[in-house]
Amino acid sequence: MSDDHDGVPELLAAWAFGALQPADEKAVPLHLAGCESCAAEAERLRETVRLLDGPPGIPEQAAMNNGSALSEGVLAAALRARPTAPRVAAHAAPYAAAVTGLTALLREVDGHRPWGTPVVHDWDVRDTVGHLIAADGELARLVGVPAHAPASWSTAEMPWEEAWEARTADTIAYERTRSPEETVAAWSAQSSALLATPEARDPERASHATTMLGVRLPVADHFLGRAFETWIHTVDIGRALGLAVPPPVEAHLGQMVRLAVRMLGLALGPAAPPVLFAVTGVGGDPQWVLGSEGEPVRGELALQAVDFCLLVGGRHTPTSVPRGVVGDEEAVHHVLERAASLAWL
Amino acid sequence: MPVEPTLHTSERPSADAELHRRLVYGDETALAEAYAAYGGLVRRVAVRVTRSAAAAEDVAQEVFAQLWSRPYAFDPGRGSMRTWLSLLAHRRAVDWVRSEARHRKDTRADDSALHSIPDTGPGPDEAVVDRERSLLLHSALAELPKPQREVVHLAYFAGRTYRQAAVELGIPEGTAKTRLRSALRKLAVSLGDPSDPAWERGA
Repeated sequence: MSDDHDGVPELLAAWAFGALQPADEKAVPLHLAGCESCAAEAERLRETVRLLDGPPGIPEQAAMNNGSALSEGVLAAALRARPTAPRVAAHAAPYAAAVTGLTALLREVDGHRPWGTPVVHDWDVRDTVGHLIAADGELARLVGVPAHAPASWSTAEMPWEEAWEARTADTIAYERTRSPEETVAAWSAQSSALLATPEARDPERASHATTMLGVRLPVADHFLGRAFETWIHTVDIGRALGLAVPPPVEAHLGQMVRLAVRMLGLALGPAAPPVLFAVTGVGGDPQWVLGSEGEPVRGELALQAVDFCLLVGGRHTPTSVPRGVVGDEEAVHHVLERAASLAWL
Repeated sequence: MPVEPTLHTSERPSADAELHRRLVYGDETALAEAYAAYGGLVRRVAVRVTRSAAAAEDVAQEVFAQLWSRPYAFDPGRGSMRTWLSLLAHRRAVDWVRSEARHRKDTRADDSALHSIPDTGPGPDEAVVDRERSLLLHSALAELPKPQREVVHLAYFAGRTYRQAAVELGIPEGTAKTRLRSALRKLAVSLGDPSDPAWERGA
């Protein structure tokens, strides 16, 4: 019976660690009683674990008993290692969270993952942050936060796309003249200032519509737009650095999805062939009929919330985005095309 | 008629991924949850190595401060938060003991004040020897390859059976057993007991 040791040698380390399955608990001692070589190894391994445990009378019990009393101190001290996301109204919370998430990511830029790592377009990490300074600067001007951006040759007479291109190019060029740390500090100061405005803290103050980057929306939605773009570029930087950036938390993702669906509805117009659009991965699994309201639905499109955001943000294409399609493919493809071409970021 | 298979067969993010997501975006209640779930394990690991409740407290604080301030250091795609925190706590605790030992050496050289380990065990000498051997083993454990360390942490510190550990790590049961065995044999050898040369040959 003990010729093949019944698989006991493979179990001895688990036995010594006290990590056997209940079913093995009897078999091992039974075998050890009759097998000298296994018993010798077992003794050796168990002695090693005993030494790992250390001498008796250690303060282990005391430490564990005080667990709850000590808990608050450890937690409070750990929390001081990083500021929490600033307290703002619901419409600005996604932006506050996105800024917090990018700040954490930028802390991972170091010798192994340098600032010069290529990200998107011809931008490296620092340029991408520079681009966000320019983009956030648009909202900063609207709500009266002193702009950190340098003077630009863009003018009020230029079409907004052109003026915007000019401002972002100017900002990136300027940021390249100083250290990446200064660029990050400037971005950080501007976003903090934005989150400290009455428009970020009071929904009433953010309810009036105003035009920014060619789109007329309530200020509250412009804050959501800032969240969206900040997160998209955080994903870009994370990909460049080899770090996986998680989707925004579900509540924020839901806010971003609803804004994007509204923009998509406007872009499609009331005459487009109607498509039932379902989004998963946010609360309530919402769905909408996009396009004409008077006709029966021609097709169905289902997307994960995060994939929809990546599509709208230009990080998925209509053909690359994972999707569920039912019915009229052409009508559904039209919706995907419009979503991908939403130029509002 | 379905044109393509739908992709929404409930790919809910794992509990770790969900917690990590909230940590990244600065939700402090996520840190409180992580602490409630893994604070006990982190302390257990730290106190086992440092033999000091105060040091374990410092280590726990350092570990959770790291989780909070450097959330990207943990990647839920590459392992569980439980093992990640356990490994980090062990590494920090071993570092604490090493720097403490250096410090003790320095003060001893200065004023020859011997900070001995409180003798609560059998004879003080025996306790000191056991204590040193324990530290040696924990240092060796910290140097083991990560796949072996992970199984040891789950089995030894987190109280998992080899089967539970295998499930948690997503590895076959046999692999978990083999890793535990290789790890523990290496630790035994690191004690370098010369009285049994057969052991060194891996009998």
